[in-house]
Amino acid sequence: MKDSFEINFSHLKGEKLQTFKSLSGFEYKRIYDHTMWNKVLPDAGEYPFVRGIHKDMYRGRLWTRRQQSGFGSPEESNKLIKYLFKIGQTGINIDSDIGTKLGLDPDYPLAQADVGLQGTSMCTYEDMKALFKDIPLDSISSTLIFPPPSSLVIMSQYLMMAKERDIPWESLIGTIMNCCLTQLVGPTFQANTAFFPIDLNIKIGLDLMEYLIPRLPKWNILNVNSRNIREIGVDAVQEASFVLALGVDYVKGLIDRGLNIDSFAHRIAFFSAVHIDLFEEVAKFRAMRRIWARLMKERFGAKNKKSMWLRMAVQTSSLPLTAQEPMNNIVRAGIQTLAAILAGVQSVHTTSYDEAYCLPTEESQKLAIRTQQIIAYETGVVKSVDPLGGSYLVEKMTDEMEERIWEMMKVIDKLGGFIQCFKDQWVEKQLNEVRYKMAKEIETGEQPIVGVNIFRDDEERVDIDLFRQAPDMQAKRIQYVIDYRKNRDQKAVKLSLKKINDAVKKNPEKNIFEAIYEAVAAKVTLQEICDAMREASNFTIPS
Amino acid sequence: MSGKKRIVLAKLGLDCHDNGLKIVAKWLMDSGYEVIYGGVYNSAESAVKMTIEEEADALGISFLGGEHLHYTEKLIRLLKEENADGVKVFIGGVIPPPDVNALMNLGVHAVFTPGTRRETIIQTLNRIIQDRKRPFNED
Repeated sequence: MKDSFEINFSHLKGEKLQTFKSLSGFEYKRIYDHTMWNKVLPDAGEYPFVRGIHKDMYRGRLWTRRQQSGFGSPEESNKLIKYLFKIGQTGINIDSDIGTKLGLDPDYPLAQADVGLQGTSMCTYEDMKALFKDIPLDSISSTLIFPPPSSLVIMSQYLMMAKERDIPWESLIGTIMNCCLTQLVGPTFQANTAFFPIDLNIKIGLDLMEYLIPRLPKWNILNVNSRNIREIGVDAVQEASFVLALGVDYVKGLIDRGLNIDSFAHRIAFFSAVHIDLFEEVAKFRAMRRIWARLMKERFGAKNKKSMWLRMAVQTSSLPLTAQEPMNNIVRAGIQTLAAILAGVQSVHTTSYDEAYCLPTEESQKLAIRTQQIIAYETGVVKSVDPLGGSYLVEKMTDEMEERIWEMMKVIDKLGGFIQCFKDQWVEKQLNEVRYKMAKEIETGEQPIVGVNIFRDDEERVDIDLFRQAPDMQAKRIQYVIDYRKNRDQKAVKLSLKKINDAVKKNPEKNIFEAIYEAVAAKVTLQEICDAMREASNFTIPS
Repeated sequence: MSGKKRIVLAKLGLDCHDNGLKIVAKWLMDSGYEVIYGGVYNSAESAVKMTIEEEADALGISFLGGEHLHYTEKLIRLLKEENADGVKVFIGGVIPPPDVNALMNLGVHAVFTPGTRRETIIQTLNRIIQDRKRPFNED
């Protein structure tokens, strides 16, 4: 430690920022006035919904507090869900471990060491029942974070559970994420294509949507994940244009199946990041609402207002959160949460301060929920609808943001749409470029981060409580699925696997969902179902 | 083969958060290393195999989800079994503070947690890899 004392600040010089650029490269002007924006806004709840999708917004009801949760076994996650509700969570957001998302059982060699680490481990119908024990399915809304192929297996389990509890499917409330291109660390190519054939994955995702639309009128069939796109380091314009372009691809996919836009568009939602550049984020969400509404109405001819709503779930971005001085993250997440609320989103996960170390502890989860409750009940920002609406700055930035998003969407459109751009690895190239750019901006201090590249305290020692898994959790889950496969009617298992294989090979045009539902009923596990589809496509996976 | 020191970078298991790994790969290349980029979804066995086949001087693995102790223990054991324990192993990513020492005790040469500066990584690797003349026993 230095014993000399030195003051680096001079009052004569003062302290000021190096640039006035936003995180996405918009130049903040000295001051905004009527020469830059001078329009009349439609009411909230009116097309194109720039001020919010509901007339009363948070006056009518607060956003849903939906902390992502899930770890270890389904039984442990069930306890965590109950704890979160006890402290004021209002919606379920269940995350699975990576193996589950990829359609692997806990005993698959490459999956074993990841079992239960980044979410809960699920592979059987009994797992689903354990996860939702004592939790009502028709009065609490549940978001299930599963992409195809696992989303079809998981929805089968969920529907079967509803049937067993005598809850009519039409009263189920919730969301299946169901996007196979963005769930695993955003639309990175290798991560999302190594374990399942990509075209088949998109097809069966649409199968699930098509199956759910007429049967579960309150259920969201797709939630396009732009948060995971943003977290790679793309800017707000790329985030918004990528995800809206992808949304368009899905809409087209359903229309191509002969469905009417107004029969399903209101059941599609989005999940986005909220970075820390407050006004830019507010502008992003307002611009996205306007764009989606126009797309649905003008491009796809939607008549129903609800079809034009961009409904937005968010999780505050982890990018600005730091391992250094982790308590600073409480402040950051508070500001990010405020940005989300000022932007009029529908549900919020506030990321915990221990993000750079481990899954959140009960204490840090509670703090995240309290952050939202303080904003809701103490600050007054929810008492008027769209409180920033009409601000010269916010409106001008919303217009600029919208213009740049449209421009980039046109580029993607010309290249054949987002899915094509993903397959051609155009997306991958964009992502790789921004990673290096982001690293450079942090290194040079162009993007200042307190405690990291400015005001860094190299003598700081971090001392926080850390989340720990039960030491025998993985071994137990692995043994569980091995035993499970031994105790069932093997004939029925074989038969339903053959049906799935046939469905892929002989009836590639037909909806595969019912074949998967039957297999789940016959106690076939997640990976067995997915393997049947892989084998039918001669697709091998990393081992 | 060029005179450049060679480093294999990879992720093991199913975690595919590869932002950090890709950035470090670029930093190492910019500093004169030859990087063999193994990408995601590797097993410990395949990472060791790649290291040996590529005659690499060092092996860098990035973790995020808490699988670091399991895989590192395995890596070190496999390298020993293959008489390749001269390869310098370094770990990066989300590693809780108490586990940094645990990894070092397993025989890892360096651990880089989030926010580590580029020059710290490069200087540390330069020092670790410097004395290494030949990657494997060539008898």
